[in-house]
Amino acid sequence: MFLHNYKYSLRLMLGNRQLVFWTLAFPLIMALLFNMAFSNIEKSEKLDPIPIAVVDDSSFRSNMIYSETLKTLGEGDDRVFDISYTDEEKAKTMLSAGEITGYVRFAGGEPKITVMSDGIKETVMCCVFDEIGNESKLITNSGMEEIARQLQSGNKDIDYKAVFTAEAEKVMGTDTGLKDTSPGNMSFVMIEYYSLIAMACMYSGLLSMTLMNYNLANVSPVGKRCTVSPARRGSRLLGSLSASFTVQFFGLLILYLLLLFVVRADFGTKLPQIILLSLLGSLAGLTLGVAVAVLVRINENAKLTVLISAVMAGCFFSGMMGITMKNIIDKNVPVLNRINPVAMITDGLYSLYYYESGERFIIDAVSLAVFSAVMLLISFTGLRRQQYDSL
Amino acid sequence: MGDKVIEVKDLVKEYKQLRAVDGISFDVYEKEIFGLLGPNGSGKSTTINSVLSLLKYSSGSIKLFGREMTPDAYDLKRDTGVIFQDVAVFSELTVYENIDYFCGLYITGKKERKKCVEDAMELVGIGDFRKFYPKQLSGGLLRRLNIACGIAHKPKLIFLDEPTVAVDPQSRNNILEGIMKLRDNGATVVYTTHYMEEVEQICDRIVIMDKGKIIASGTCDELKKLAGTEEKITVGLKNTDKDPTDGIRKLLHVTDVFKEDSIITVSYDGGTHNIARLIDHLREQGVSYSTINSQRPTLNDVFLELTGKELRD
Ligand SMILES: Nc1ncnc2c1ncn2[C@@H]1O[C@H](COP(=O)(O)OP(=O)(O)O)[C@@H](O)[C@H]1O
Ligand SMILES: [Mg+2]
Repeated sequence: MFLHNYKYSLRLMLGNRQLVFWTLAFPLIMALLFNMAFSNIEKSEKLDPIPIAVVDDSSFRSNMIYSETLKTLGEGDDRVFDISYTDEEKAKTMLSAGEITGYVRFAGGEPKITVMSDGIKETVMCCVFDEIGNESKLITNSGMEEIARQLQSGNKDIDYKAVFTAEAEKVMGTDTGLKDTSPGNMSFVMIEYYSLIAMACMYSGLLSMTLMNYNLANVSPVGKRCTVSPARRGSRLLGSLSASFTVQFFGLLILYLLLLFVVRADFGTKLPQIILLSLLGSLAGLTLGVAVAVLVRINENAKLTVLISAVMAGCFFSGMMGITMKNIIDKNVPVLNRINPVAMITDGLYSLYYYESGERFIIDAVSLAVFSAVMLLISFTGLRRQQYDSL
Repeated sequence: MGDKVIEVKDLVKEYKQLRAVDGISFDVYEKEIFGLLGPNGSGKSTTINSVLSLLKYSSGSIKLFGREMTPDAYDLKRDTGVIFQDVAVFSELTVYENIDYFCGLYITGKKERKKCVEDAMELVGIGDFRKFYPKQLSGGLLRRLNIACGIAHKPKLIFLDEPTVAVDPQSRNNILEGIMKLRDNGATVVYTTHYMEEVEQICDRIVIMDKGKIIASGTCDELKKLAGTEEKITVGLKNTDKDPTDGIRKLLHVTDVFKEDSIITVSYDGGTHNIARLIDHLREQGVSYSTINSQRPTLNDVFLELTGKELRD
């Protein structure tokens, strides 16, 4: 029964041209388009330094880690930023005059970034500040630990600056820290590819939803047939899910082959983890598709709209259409990132790229697994003893 | 009559505004073709879908093979085959694959299934089209495929909901013959339609529905007794100089004579050789006629008698 279902599910998916286009071909086309767009940028120049302004007040000057890091990033030929140190009024006028991409003001030790629009430069700027922030937390934490250790061992005469400098060096020097953020390595192109992968994962929901709709009496005539047959609902659900997972797996495989060998994207050394994460992400997409098919009791087209909107909203809140959104969510409603599978995928991929330690990756991977399990559970519950008020 | 295969008691199904099925009861017996006849919107499909436990019905009880039907009654479902009103096939699969897919939901053994699929294709006469995709089939062939998908697993109980809508005469005959063959092979069939000729042609027992209620039931002959007339003879007069109606009215078994222009319609409540008697009478009176024919009442007359409206609008 399972194999029968599985075999025909594959046939049904591959026979559906629209489905094949959106889930298999579309990500490939996007990857090639990105590649064309970005290879032009990269050929024409190393990324120009991004003009930004920093509000140079006491709050900034007292923030040693930021002021030191920014100084480094603003120096040399391969500098990331062209930094103007100025006051807030001036920074605002520069921003509205289009002279700078954005400006930063420090309040309570945290940088507050203001930009005008959502472009690649803005994205890079926010990313870099994000990374400085992460790094700064690491340094502060280990610095605090060191000071505590020294205090405990009776040393009352601590050279704080020396401690932090030592820690900073340690953080920068070891692999737990940031990669070099010079333009050569700081690959905003990768961010776009990560978004693309996340999108490809989530759109797998189209596959499972299409198959599930064939099983539901209120959606399709063939669904009525399946429902009056003795084939168990659970086994039909699992058959659909595994068949769509298979198709998705091969879709991802082709996408990765394209990204690796045609586009030559640099995934660093962690390809297995990245692939694992995208498989988990696909599972999240597939189970989301099943849940929408089962639980949203409206017609097929409306379901499609619901699924696509959900994925789009997920992409939007994860910062795919502009990194500022991600920052707003991170700061104000971080819980959204814990239920948004797109954020889990992109965050996991970023963290694999930037950090050696896999803690964030593991959290994201587990979150995706939990998300999928929850979706499956509510789908099964929704299918139990299903009868309709109206067909 | 054999064992009861379906027992429906006091079935009521209400949609938000509307009582689509209004307290109906009926039994279907083994190895009969049971007809559910009624105009569009009379509640036939709603009844079938409730019996199949697809619809949540408001009240009443439904038993198949003596057991309560529920969404989880998998062994009852195994013995049942359904052909829904809407064609339910996959456009991505060929004729053969479609039948094989639905048959496979019931029968796992590959060899057994292959035989079943071949038998089903033969029954509806679609074997020549096994590699065709549904969109390459004519309306009639598509309906035949639809039926093959529902009966390939050789169910003991078969529901067919208007399987001949929009079908050419050849396919219709093929389908009706196929259904009788299924009955002869031992299946019990529930057949809904709004075509009375089909019901007269194939059904052993009939229930007539209107507005969610059963208004009459019985065999075809039993129902026809309800029509009020046993025979209707229409005479087309050559000329209308003489009016023979008063004379005809006095003949044996005549209940009504109706004349419109040159056509006279005579209703009888029984008797034999009515047409011969009428011909003799007309000759005696020197009335010449161009046509004369006798009609037994149709189920349409029954429906007209019971509801005051035509079965088909
Ligand atoms: N899903 C529904 N919601 C509301 N009313 C419905 C629904 N389906 C059918 N009806 C109404 O119920 C009545 C019976 O419909 P149906 O059982 O389809 O009749 P039939 O099959 O005899 O043509 C009709 O008046 C129809 O309009
Ligand atoms: Mg109907």
